[in-house]
Amino acid sequence: MKRRDYIIFALLLGIAIAYPWLHPPRYLIASALLMFCYATVVSQWNLVFGMAGIFSLAQVAIFALGAYITAMLGRYLDWSLWYTFPLAGLGGVFFSLLIGVACLRLRGIYVALLTLAVSQVMFVLIQTDSMCSSLNKVLNPATCVSLTGGAQGLGSFGSFGWRSVLGGRDWIIGDYYTMLALLVVGLVVAFVISHSRIGLAFKALRDNEELARSRGISQFKYQLLVFALSAFLTAVAGGFYAAHFGAVGTDMISFPLLLFIISMLVVGGIGRLWGPLLGAFLLMAADEVFKEVSDWRNVGLGVVVLLFMVFLPEGLAGAIEKGWQRIERLFGRRETLGQAARSDDKASSESGD
Amino acid sequence: MSGEGTQPLLACRNVSKYFGALAAVSDFDLDVHSGDVVGIGGPNGAGKTTFLDVVSGINPATSGDIRLDGENIAHTAPDIICHRGIARTYQLNAGFDSMSIRENILVGAAFGQGDKGIPRLRYSRSMHQRVGRALELCGLQDKAHLIVRSLPVLDRKLVMLAGAVATEPKLLLIDEPVGGLNPHEVDDVMEIVSGLVDAGMTIILIEHVMRFLLQISKRVVIMHHGEKIYEGDPQGLLSDQRVVEVYLGKGTAKRLQHMLAERGGND
Repeated sequence: MKRRDYIIFALLLGIAIAYPWLHPPRYLIASALLMFCYATVVSQWNLVFGMAGIFSLAQVAIFALGAYITAMLGRYLDWSLWYTFPLAGLGGVFFSLLIGVACLRLRGIYVALLTLAVSQVMFVLIQTDSMCSSLNKVLNPATCVSLTGGAQGLGSFGSFGWRSVLGGRDWIIGDYYTMLALLVVGLVVAFVISHSRIGLAFKALRDNEELARSRGISQFKYQLLVFALSAFLTAVAGGFYAAHFGAVGTDMISFPLLLFIISMLVVGGIGRLWGPLLGAFLLMAADEVFKEVSDWRNVGLGVVVLLFMVFLPEGLAGAIEKGWQRIERLFGRRETLGQAARSDDKASSESGD
Repeated sequence: MSGEGTQPLLACRNVSKYFGALAAVSDFDLDVHSGDVVGIGGPNGAGKTTFLDVVSGINPATSGDIRLDGENIAHTAPDIICHRGIARTYQLNAGFDSMSIRENILVGAAFGQGDKGIPRLRYSRSMHQRVGRALELCGLQDKAHLIVRSLPVLDRKLVMLAGAVATEPKLLLIDEPVGGLNPHEVDDVMEIVSGLVDAGMTIILIEHVMRFLLQISKRVVIMHHGEKIYEGDPQGLLSDQRVVEVYLGKGTAKRLQHMLAERGGND
């Protein structure tokens, strides 16, 4: 976790900041910023899934909730979207806490089932929402759509507003840096938490719940805490997504997106610091390369997740780290062996008297 | 017994634990004063571990009264009991497997006795000092960086013990510290636990290895079918008719008597 990680972080950040100045094709900038958005979601998911070991699949629902909060506040109340993001975050925290409470007595796969059910219920509720709300009837009598937009989705609620600052061509670069800033915050938050006392509690509960409890860690408190902590930026990422695309729809809670994002986590490495970033990058790249055969996308993702679960459960970040350690051991070998021998001597002499 | 007349550190009255109709612990009384070292023995299924589960809050009592420093903790959550000052180890080699030895012990130090349960990001300096002391007491200083998953049994037991010690408990509960160890390793653990006793720690320990139980404990309790059939000093145990009948057998009793006599001579 030491200097090496800070150097990697600085390097990647430098590249990401410089990238738009190399005049890449516009669609690559769009892909990159979408990758930042997903990577943020994955980095927060990693807190719940990787660090706390809770198999929650609710993150995509929280992401979508954030997007809908931003979209609806922008559309119906005409708020500047910048004011909606904190509210989206808080809405996500509240929603996530409810799910956390419901999951308190569940373990393992049952948490996955419950949280998946919650997202699917949310999907169906929005998809089938065809009622014209009374509010909407007053506001838009001519084009009455349902409150959530139903299956058509919801649009025309504003954007980040970079168009008026940077112009009709470069606004996307504004969006790019906005998303990048969010990702940096997400990574820093994940890093700080995982190295903090709170993170230690999450890991302890993951490794051995009963032992953690008898060492003074309240499962109730810390489980709710991880649900709350991980939800804020996830929901804000949803808001940013909505602001960038200018539209939200039920595809944000759909199963394919869930699969896509969870694949990032699995491929990158569950519980690894660099897992989310690596996974998001690789899957976005793969998605780009295999565009031609996109009919097979979900099948392909399923196979990839399966293969990783079986052969590389620690993901690519885990595999790379292991390789690195092996190299380190190769060079530092004599030293550690000497240490072990010394401690053996000590142990035997102690027990000898 | 030390501190007689004063309020006991731990006072258990009529503690019972039922699993359905089965009384794993039944009407059990025990007083532990500060500085006591109480050893609990007895046949398998006597309710020894269940008693520790009850005291540490993992498996609350069905009925009865458990007071720590006069405060009832019979239905308090295990994390709060830990904050109040009781820490325990497990019979099985429980550990935080993916973490290093140091991190395992840091859990005890960071959330142990006196913690208010407020989630904070930072560690205080005293937490790191607790870790250092626990590592030293359990002889793990040189191995602190090793990952717990791959440790041999003895080290895993010591890590678990160090984690409990790091909470700086008023009362330490140790469940079978030398179960499954070879005689050489038993001596190692005995030395470490003696060190804890010398450091003034109050301990309740469960053990089947009688030579360990009798040499470490200042007072011994024998349980059978959830009840106490003996409480007194280690010597008296070996001449107690019922204990010899139910648990030790005549041969073992004689052998242990020799061992204690020898040790007494050496002192």
